[in-house]
Amino acid sequence: MSGIDLIGLFLANAAGTTAAVETVKRDPEALNEALLRNAGDGPIFFACDGDVDPRLFSRFRQNQRVVTRPSVDEMKTIGTGVTDAFCGIATTGSICVSIGRELTGPASSLTRKHIAVLDANAIVPRPRDVFSEEFLEGKALHRSFSFITGPSATADMGPLVRGVHGPGKLLIIVLV
Amino acid sequence: MSETSFNDVHPREVANKSSKESLRKAIGMALRIESDALRLNTQTFNTNRYTAVGRLDDYQELKDRARQIKESSIQNLPGLIERLTRSIEARGGKVFLARTKAEATSYIRNVCRSFDARLVVKAKSITSEEIGLNPALQDAGIEVAETDLAEFILQVSKEQPSHIVAPAIHRSRERISKLFKEHFNTAKPLDTGEQLTEFARDILREKFLAADVGVTGANLVSADEGTILLVESEGNIRLTTQLPAVHIAIAGIEKIIPCKKDFGTFIELLAASGTGQPLSSYTNILEPPLDLPVLNLNGRKDARREFHLVLIDNGRMKMREDPDLREALYCVRCSACMNVCATFQAVGGHAFGGECYTGGIGGAWTVGTSGNLEEGRFAELCTGCSRCVPNCPVRIDIPRLNTVIKERLMKSEGAPSLEKRFFGNFSSMAKFASLAPALSNWINGLSPSRAVLEKFAGVDRRRSIPPFAKKTLARQYAVYRKKNMPPAALYPDARKLFLFADVFTNYQNAGIGMAAVRVFEKLGFPVALTRVMEDGRSAQSQGLLESARKSAVTLAVYLKKLIDGGADIIVAEPSVLSMFRLDYAKLLDANDVFSVLKAHTFDPLEWLNLSAERYPEFRQLLEQKVRKRATQPMIFYHAHCQLKTIGAGEAAPQFFRRLGLDVETSSVECCGMAGSFGYKKEFYDISRNIGSDLGRQIEKSVQSNAAVTVLASGTSCREQIHDELSRRVEHPIEFIDEML
Repeated sequence: MSGIDLIGLFLANAAGTTAAVETVKRDPEALNEALLRNAGDGPIFFACDGDVDPRLFSRFRQNQRVVTRPSVDEMKTIGTGVTDAFCGIATTGSICVSIGRELTGPASSLTRKHIAVLDANAIVPRPRDVFSEEFLEGKALHRSFSFITGPSATADMGPLVRGVHGPGKLLIIVLV
Repeated sequence: MSETSFNDVHPREVANKSSKESLRKAIGMALRIESDALRLNTQTFNTNRYTAVGRLDDYQELKDRARQIKESSIQNLPGLIERLTRSIEARGGKVFLARTKAEATSYIRNVCRSFDARLVVKAKSITSEEIGLNPALQDAGIEVAETDLAEFILQVSKEQPSHIVAPAIHRSRERISKLFKEHFNTAKPLDTGEQLTEFARDILREKFLAADVGVTGANLVSADEGTILLVESEGNIRLTTQLPAVHIAIAGIEKIIPCKKDFGTFIELLAASGTGQPLSSYTNILEPPLDLPVLNLNGRKDARREFHLVLIDNGRMKMREDPDLREALYCVRCSACMNVCATFQAVGGHAFGGECYTGGIGGAWTVGTSGNLEEGRFAELCTGCSRCVPNCPVRIDIPRLNTVIKERLMKSEGAPSLEKRFFGNFSSMAKFASLAPALSNWINGLSPSRAVLEKFAGVDRRRSIPPFAKKTLARQYAVYRKKNMPPAALYPDARKLFLFADVFTNYQNAGIGMAAVRVFEKLGFPVALTRVMEDGRSAQSQGLLESARKSAVTLAVYLKKLIDGGADIIVAEPSVLSMFRLDYAKLLDANDVFSVLKAHTFDPLEWLNLSAERYPEFRQLLEQKVRKRATQPMIFYHAHCQLKTIGAGEAAPQFFRRLGLDVETSSVECCGMAGSFGYKKEFYDISRNIGSDLGRQIEKSVQSNAAVTVLASGTSCREQIHDELSRRVEHPIEFIDEML
């Protein structure tokens, strides 16, 4: 798939999954503005696994609404989670989010709204490329993670409904 | 049984299909109560699947690769189990290999007890249904909360799954609303999908937050790193694996593959083949116990995470040693075979299924894991239409598995029934009836004869056996040839043509055979007729595999000789053509003979299309013939199921479009008659239910254009359409004969 506009393809396919997508400059101020504009009211559960340069979140972290180690009660009730994503998939509009020490798992699964921040340089053509030698550069992929493709959904109750046990809203911020 | 009493049949009562009565009741219940929701939901999945696999530019290569990985994994299974055990243990997890259901449930119960668990949240796992996990835990005083919404519905309704991916697919939104209102006695509004989902979410969120242990299945497990693939849409698997400190995964041993990187082959195939999505909402790649700190949202003070992988044998190693059932172990449980299946679309897994495994693939799984052949009786609902074959992502020949089960059931019951012998030895009956066709047709039309056929041969009296031709094809051809010299060959390098005188065309559809001869000869291709020979289709459809094999071997030798002499074989009856191009692969021992037959047997219109590509002068001749016509009819065409499977379903529309005609095609996978299936009393209602789908499409087409000509390539398809609409239906080659 060489020569294809991976970012353009990713944006189109992610929108096709009914995720919201937005491109933002690789800049702490710009990212902070975008995150706050989209996070809604109340505390924001923030977890970053270091896949996106942590310095880009420096401005956002300073906000008092941002919680990185929520209490048990906060974790049960916080509406919005912000995480980084270590990979994007152009043909499916998916993102890959770790499940590890930094609580990116709960922040992306317990909340009603998930905002994922993805570096455009980490977009690969197809899901299988995440397991490829080229992507891994010889390293093993030693982590638990989820390909997230659009919001949580079900057709078990008849018509398609978005927002079941996982977030009903997904916003992907692509850093360019 | 009256219609009302079917309403009283609970699916769980008839889940075990060991008895014919149970199967009969289940069919009645499913047709009456579940069919509308099933058709809507399975057909939606099926349509989405076609779109999704169409987007995979290397779909066929992915399927080849997936098949190769599964074959090699099953071959090397003992070594993979050892390697997987080492991988998981190296990370601090535990592996338990359960030989039986009882061993599995006992282990899981002990893990829960050792953890003082009172509440288990559980994600969808058909394997957990197989081992009877819920009752085993509940008997030990442990509450189990099903968190997949479909399984949540079933837990309330106390039903077994009706589908392997969407277990409550048989319930409409209205039936779910009614169920919840009665069960939960709530004032909350429960009249939309959103309201029902929110209501269930709130209940289950409380369960998640309080749970002590999470139980999941596994789509695949990699031996190299002990990684688990878990695919879902709702997010309940993510919560089940992250919130409680203890995660127990249950996986059949056939789920093990060698390498994590091979997940890359399966994840797109699974999503596209199953729900028709590019990827499911959540495709989880887990290396448990997770690094994630214990959250203790349930108020416990657990210090570390625990992970237990419970591998289930429960008959799988025996299946591995069985040359036929082994094939079922390649299944990745995507459900494509169910969604594409016309029978399944009509009755779903409560009829076409057992205690937990459903659909075409469910027969082999039920027999293999229960160890009881009779529980696989629902394999009789596989019509052999073969639509699942090209749509299975690991290329399992599912109809073959069901034929084997039918054969084994027959052997276990002693001699074949009169019904099986009647349908399975159709050629002898046809030969005899054709000695005096007028008399045979007269007798066949009499009510007393139909009553006798119904009583002794199981032929439903509402069906009529297609009439026998006044003169057989062989006789008509001989007369024709005496009067008409073969035409001069217009295309010197064209191969010789033989029309295969199959049993159906010779004794019943002689007119179609002669139409084919005339069409080819009018277009400059001389046609000879083969000997009349049995091909094995009828016998195979009844599970009489030995008889089918004998016919196949004799016929293959004869046809190969003709082909080696420079001939192509034209086959007017699609079910017979499909034998040569699909089923003979397994009926013949010699692969080289099968390859020759596959390459040189053709549907009439398929061959004409190929000739039109090859010879410019043939194209010109066609254009001249068509130009002479003043009016161009509109065509509605229904392609035979097996014709589609062997890749010739588009041949007729393609040829008609070449002639400048407008063609509308049916979208149903199969007409529901499927050879002898629709004639059988026990399956008549299913057959008509399926046929009504095609009937509606034709009626719609006729409403928009009364002059539409309805064409169908299969004998049984034409019979089904005739019974649905009392309308004459021709074979495409007859229509072309009239045009030329």
